[in-house]
Amino acid sequence: MSQISRRDFLKLYAALAASAAFSGAPRLLSSALSNNGGKPNILIFVFDSMSARHLSLYGYGRMTTPNLEKFAERASVYHNHYSSANFTTPGTASMLTGMHPWTHRALNFRGMIDRTLADRNLFNLVGNEYTHLAFTQNFWADILLSQFNADLDSHFPCDLYGQARKSLFQPDDLPGDRSIAYYVFQDFLSLRLHDPSSFPGSLFIGSAELGIDITSDNKANISADYPRGLPTVYDFSYENADVFSGVNDLIQSELPRSSPSLAYFHFWSPHGPYNPRKEFIGIFDDDLKWHSKPRHPLAADNFPQEHMRQKHLEFDEAIAEVDAEFGRVISDLEKSGVLQNSYVIVTSDHGELFERGEIGHASALMYAPVTHIPLLISAPGQAARSDFHSLTSIEDLVPTILQITGREIPDWVEGRLLPGFGGTEDTSRSLFPMVAKDNATYQPLKHGTFAMIKGAHELFYFTGYPKHPDSFELYNLQEDPDELQDLFSKDITTASKMKDELLAAIDTANRNFQKK
Amino acid sequence: MLKRLPKSQEILQVYAVIAVMLSGWTITAFLRKLPSWLLTLNIGEIFTVFSYAMVTNFIESLIVLLLLLLACIALPSHLFRDKFVVRGAVLSIAIIGSLMMFVGLHMQSASRLWLGFFEVSLLMGVFLGFSPKFRFLSSAVLWISDRLVVFLFVLLPLYVILSGYVIFRNIA
Repeated sequence: MSQISRRDFLKLYAALAASAAFSGAPRLLSSALSNNGGKPNILIFVFDSMSARHLSLYGYGRMTTPNLEKFAERASVYHNHYSSANFTTPGTASMLTGMHPWTHRALNFRGMIDRTLADRNLFNLVGNEYTHLAFTQNFWADILLSQFNADLDSHFPCDLYGQARKSLFQPDDLPGDRSIAYYVFQDFLSLRLHDPSSFPGSLFIGSAELGIDITSDNKANISADYPRGLPTVYDFSYENADVFSGVNDLIQSELPRSSPSLAYFHFWSPHGPYNPRKEFIGIFDDDLKWHSKPRHPLAADNFPQEHMRQKHLEFDEAIAEVDAEFGRVISDLEKSGVLQNSYVIVTSDHGELFERGEIGHASALMYAPVTHIPLLISAPGQAARSDFHSLTSIEDLVPTILQITGREIPDWVEGRLLPGFGGTEDTSRSLFPMVAKDNATYQPLKHGTFAMIKGAHELFYFTGYPKHPDSFELYNLQEDPDELQDLFSKDITTASKMKDELLAAIDTANRNFQKK
Repeated sequence: MLKRLPKSQEILQVYAVIAVMLSGWTITAFLRKLPSWLLTLNIGEIFTVFSYAMVTNFIESLIVLLLLLLACIALPSHLFRDKFVVRGAVLSIAIIGSLMMFVGLHMQSASRLWLGFFEVSLLMGVFLGFSPKFRFLSSAVLWISDRLVVFLFVLLPLYVILSGYVIFRNIA
């Protein structure tokens, strides 16, 4: 990493002071950085499934994120940041390409970005000047990263910091074919132990994995430190302390010698099964207000209220652990000086839902807890907090990072510059989160849930579900943040306007996929 | 040592049983997955997945055959090499059938896993021991293994071509 001289420091300080006086602190920090001469590092921390609705940072009733709040004191905080989808594949693809799911087409479980668009990724766009590092514990995100392999200098395996791997083969065993290797090994040849309907394509691999699972001591995962068992990602378990320490070490060793770097770290936690260390279990001994919501006809399950309430609590505990680990890493990085010339971005790929009979994400339901995600960006040397309340999208990261790194923003990018980084707070903006996981990738969108968020309102359009007629729901997120009062048949004007806009947007997206 | 091996025609007949059973399983699994892949993957990618699966299948079939040939070398000829087609084919069916039961039962009830495994193994063990003594069983196995050889005219070239494709992808 380049050393900052006293003169550079004074220039930086002067620029900071001047820009803080005239406009937003982040913008000034950005310009101050360019005076430094060196390009900044970009560190992206993605916490899988971390719903903004569960963070005390955003006013949640439980103190889940004291460390994020501390971090926010010197960051830009986006209060109405939304994912483009309700599960990893489309959300992460949007984050890394700046495109909406109906454009990048990573719509399905284990989906991939349209092969002709795979070079439209953040790593490619920031150019070779940057060293590109990527690590994710999430297999589905790793499929996407595998599509970008040609643009990555280091692409680490998902189980880099994992324990007790159960599958015999992992996609990185085939580095040249890594994205398709997911389909070969994980989707086909292997036995998916958690899925009783799994039919392994290889009798030998399937039998061996089943044998390993039967003979291994699964109870070993449960220990005094992990009363609920270790956190698990399908085939391997891990300890957050190991993963965060590993990432910390990686940053400390890589950044000084490969600056500027664009580093993407996608952590599995707080994604289910919500198994934090013992010190985080039972920390919320409270009586949080709980809204009982009737089961939705399209909910994937029908969990009883008490079970959902319990899982809701366990999720909060998992978030608290992630927050503590993140706080530890940031503190270490600050002490080591690595962050002097680094932007740190904290966000998620989607949220999590504990209502209407359902626990988790990736179903037909797109209520705010599963799409409303955190976004914090701390610029080098930023000393004050900036809050932004306008609607922002997961797709906005790409143009914003390109702006930070001084690169041109291509026309095809569908995200916008974030406020504070050259963008404006646009109150008329519409966002279109969606889930179409059962829709054929290259067919017009006819099966899924399409949402539209505009101002305070959120409209849902459920279409193509068997035995469920197409329907709409409308909520006012400001007056009814729990989405309990469906206004679709009451606020006719808003409903009609939003419905027309949403259907027109879907129609436009479908044009390229209609049969000619 | 080669003299302890069965005749090539006999090996081919037993290999046909192994290859057909294993590839039958893999192709069935492939056809089950195909509709979901058609949603997300293009034809070239589906072909690549199929290639990897069939190459894995090829390796597995060679492993089973190798085990049988090692048994031929290791055991006294009257125990295994004589009547190799019948005994080899029955043992192959026992091994592969047990694995099928083992994995297949996982799909229904994990608690019955070992039961299925032992049931099939026991049954096949009995058949193996007495198979040459039952004329009907012997002739049935001989007849089936002889007919299955025809599938090798498709499977073996397929294995070779797809292995070449997989090797090429990983070298290139």
